[in-house]
Amino acid sequence: MADVTFTVDGKKLTAPAGTLLIDACRKAGIEIPAFCYYPGLSLQAACRMCVVRLEKVPKLQTACTTPVAEGMVVTTESDEIKQSRKAILELLLGNHPLDCPVCDAGGECELQDMTFKYGAAESKYVEIKQHREEQQWSPVVFFDRPRCILCYRCVRVCGEGMDVWALGVQNRGVSSVISPNGEDHLDCEECGMCIDICPVGALTSGTYRYKTRPWEMNHVATVCTHCGDGCKTTLGVRSVDDGSEIIRGDNRDKSGMNGDFLCIKGRYAFDFTTREDRITKPLVRQPNGQLAEVSWEQALEHAGMKLREIRDTRGGSAIGVIGSTRTTNEEAYLLQKFARTVLNTNNIDHHRTADYASFAAALQGKAGRTASLRDFLTAPAILLLGNDATEQHPALAWNIRSNVRQNRARLYVANHADIKLHRQAKSFLQIPQDGYAALVQYLAGNEAGFDGTEISAAFREALRKEESLVIAFGSEFRGRDIQSLVDFGLGLPNVKFAALGDYANSRGAADMGLMPDLLPGYVPLAAAKHFGEEYPSLPSAPGLDMLQMFDAAEAGNLGALYVVGSNPVERYGIDPTALKNTFLIVQDMFMTETAAVADVIFPAANLYEKSGTVTNTYGDLQLAKKAADKAGVRTDFELIVRLADKMGADPKKLVPFGRGVRADMGQTRGAQSGEADRHAVWLAANNLEPKLSPFDPFAVFDEIQRLVPSYNVSRFELLGGQDKQTRSDLVQIELDPARRDLVLPANDTLFTSGTLGRYSRMLHSVMESRTTKPAETAAD
Amino acid sequence: MTRGWCKEYTAASYTVVMSIVRNIAGITKGMSITFREMLQPTEVENYPDGPGPTRGAVLQERFRGAHELQRDENGLEKCVACFLCAAACPSNCIYIEAAENTAEQRISSAERYAKVYNIDYNRCIFCGYCVEACPTDAITHGHGFELASLNATNLVMRKEDMLVANVGMPGQLAAHSDSLK
Ligand code: SF4
Ligand code: SF4
Ligand code: SF4
Ligand code: SF4
Ligand code: SF4
Ligand code: FES
Repeated sequence: MADVTFTVDGKKLTAPAGTLLIDACRKAGIEIPAFCYYPGLSLQAACRMCVVRLEKVPKLQTACTTPVAEGMVVTTESDEIKQSRKAILELLLGNHPLDCPVCDAGGECELQDMTFKYGAAESKYVEIKQHREEQQWSPVVFFDRPRCILCYRCVRVCGEGMDVWALGVQNRGVSSVISPNGEDHLDCEECGMCIDICPVGALTSGTYRYKTRPWEMNHVATVCTHCGDGCKTTLGVRSVDDGSEIIRGDNRDKSGMNGDFLCIKGRYAFDFTTREDRITKPLVRQPNGQLAEVSWEQALEHAGMKLREIRDTRGGSAIGVIGSTRTTNEEAYLLQKFARTVLNTNNIDHHRTADYASFAAALQGKAGRTASLRDFLTAPAILLLGNDATEQHPALAWNIRSNVRQNRARLYVANHADIKLHRQAKSFLQIPQDGYAALVQYLAGNEAGFDGTEISAAFREALRKEESLVIAFGSEFRGRDIQSLVDFGLGLPNVKFAALGDYANSRGAADMGLMPDLLPGYVPLAAAKHFGEEYPSLPSAPGLDMLQMFDAAEAGNLGALYVVGSNPVERYGIDPTALKNTFLIVQDMFMTETAAVADVIFPAANLYEKSGTVTNTYGDLQLAKKAADKAGVRTDFELIVRLADKMGADPKKLVPFGRGVRADMGQTRGAQSGEADRHAVWLAANNLEPKLSPFDPFAVFDEIQRLVPSYNVSRFELLGGQDKQTRSDLVQIELDPARRDLVLPANDTLFTSGTLGRYSRMLHSVMESRTTKPAETAAD
Repeated sequence: MTRGWCKEYTAASYTVVMSIVRNIAGITKGMSITFREMLQPTEVENYPDGPGPTRGAVLQERFRGAHELQRDENGLEKCVACFLCAAACPSNCIYIEAAENTAEQRISSAERYAKVYNIDYNRCIFCGYCVEACPTDAITHGHGFELASLNATNLVMRKEDMLVANVGMPGQLAAHSDSLK
């Protein structure tokens, strides 16, 4: 729209016509207080805090509902305005409890800030305040009615933002009160968006209530460890006896791809970190068959010796490795490098939840064809094939809803179920569960095998008219189907794709080569020439995949199995006795079904307790920062390096640390010796790392960027906290058409998160409290 | 010439005599105070051999000594674990862990109470900022001053060390008192 010019407090400003005055002012650095206005939500004009004086208009006007106009002259601060805002505050404080010392919002409360600013601290009312007991609406949502200032932000974010409509307003006028849909409880997605958006302490969170105060915590912006969307979450941590504990998850850092959004898992499901049954000491199975706690040295020595013995007597092919979908890229990379160069085996796999290899093969050489999670917020049209994003990719669903609501994006949904996003869809096509391949053929113009109807014809017609489209497809698409979908898409003018996989670093695990036939960056074993220097003794034959490994174990051909952060026994329904002749090493947080039959268990740190990079399912690379700490556990990275060391390998070959020039210990700043510590602080503050340690993940990230060209993004921006899209065009692969399809979707719901979710008490209590039980899913 | 010398001599001896007189006057004045005070009753505090719980030390009301955590009229702890004292403390020596009151176990009158409340007397400078900051008048400066220790680890005072004795209602009774509902 055309720009208009107007004057605010004597300053000439320009903004596109139609911009709200409050937004235009904020952009220009002029703060206008607001309780009810929230960017992205509908306008309410309920609080009257944002009043400003417009020239030639008799009364004060609300800046949150006034669009800017040519020649408008605005005053935002004057005695009159101050008086008006102060009066509003006095009214709000009329029945407001003086709860600040115990209120969770104290210290980050917008009402407190405004009272402080406008000085309306004393109440002119003499009547006794009406007290109401705090209500618990769900395991995570509590409501303290007298603190509510009726800004309706919660009502709108739940309705418009989440499309759940679980909160509403009861009664009229002074007796208005926010109430939940289930009379005395909430029946909703439990995302906690209402709590986050509440400007005061009326809505409080069950996991954080009365635990501490905002300024008492350290706040670390990192990446959620649950689904494949990679939301940025800010964890509030404080130190405790055995490390530091996470007490709150929120998204005060709104720079992430998820913007304002976090689902229940990102916001609350961090409690597995502090469970008392977490393993914190290495365990080794004794001759009597019992697991016993031993020292790290003994456990590592024992595991290293056994692995070495099996490798040297039975060869690397008798050893298998299973990686994780929740470890960092550096750990996944290091694990496969350890398997391939130290254990001399290609028997490595992970729990695959999407066929990323076929996706990479289909897109090779095509630049700019992968959609970032951000693209779903701006794309004019979106096609969603399969997958129930509301349950499995909550942030994707949020971005789609926001895009439809704010930009009128056209959403096309084809699914075998009537998924919730149907409500936002311009066009919805219900197809048989096995009809996805036929649908793609149909969309491409090949009618055979698809029962076309008028609806489907209109669907296809509308899609073909789209000038610019992003396509997200679920794990219903694998192998050849992905190829034909991409072929169809590339026939349209401007299309981007996203493959939806399930866990925090499922994509990274695949990208980093946790596969028996593909190296990092999907390089086939046969084409690994440029890996020569870093991988001196790379075995050339493809290894065993996940299922073959267990078959080999059953047949007695697998001498050892090294499982990192995974629970295959449960996930693939393996009979534990199949592993009785296999030396099993497990790295995990809990005594999972797999750990229970292990010979050696190493207590491992989770994603919240380490630094590194992770890649979400859209290929957005992000930095994960260490937030919490737990005495007794070690990162998978450190454990792999230590194990390699115990096997007699040179850690320097595994992790290229301390290479070339000696590390800069501050000389460049003219620092004296002995300043190393302070220098390390300076480096950390500038997002730089002195790669002096074999446990430094960024030394491995160097190597990843060298060997995997699609990961060669700007480190400056990545380490500064931005998400960077990896590139699809730099992958070069030729997949074996007979490649086995091993994709096993996790089918998580909003309230489950694989094995990890089982160890979150909070998720359990939410599930138990629900009146409508979610669909049964795999227990893993 | 002789006369001149004589004149000078006279002037000099006059100065000497006058200074002696002045000195004697000064000493007399000084000693008069001394002698007068000698006849007054003794005002020196006989610490640590005096009577009473302070062993003879007399403290001004405003003296800032060891902290005390107060209770309200129902015997409940006044501290609601708002952390404001910890935020105000310039030497960062207050450590608090908060916990929620339950119906069965009510410690303070608000939703929250201090499960752990430590002050590190190695670091406290007795500035009184914590007392200023406290919205519930829970923390006050008492008059305790015998805080020296040969072992620095003894100097971290815990809640139990600072909490005043429950002289109001006994805890159990207070927990069920109607005035709290
Ligand atoms: S909502 Fe804000 S003003 Fe009200 S009691 Fe809580 S902190 Fe104080
Ligand atoms: S509960 Fe919070 S967000 Fe909802 S209306 Fe009240 S003050 Fe606003
Ligand atoms: S949408 Fe996914 S990444 Fe985002 S908070 Fe939820 S579980 Fe975490
Ligand atoms: S007196 Fe001063 S230094 Fe001592 S605890 Fe209180 S605020 Fe801290
Ligand atoms: S002593 Fe006072 S200021 Fe300190 S936490 Fe307790 S109530 Fe708050
Ligand atoms: S922000 Fe404008 S009326 Fe509330």
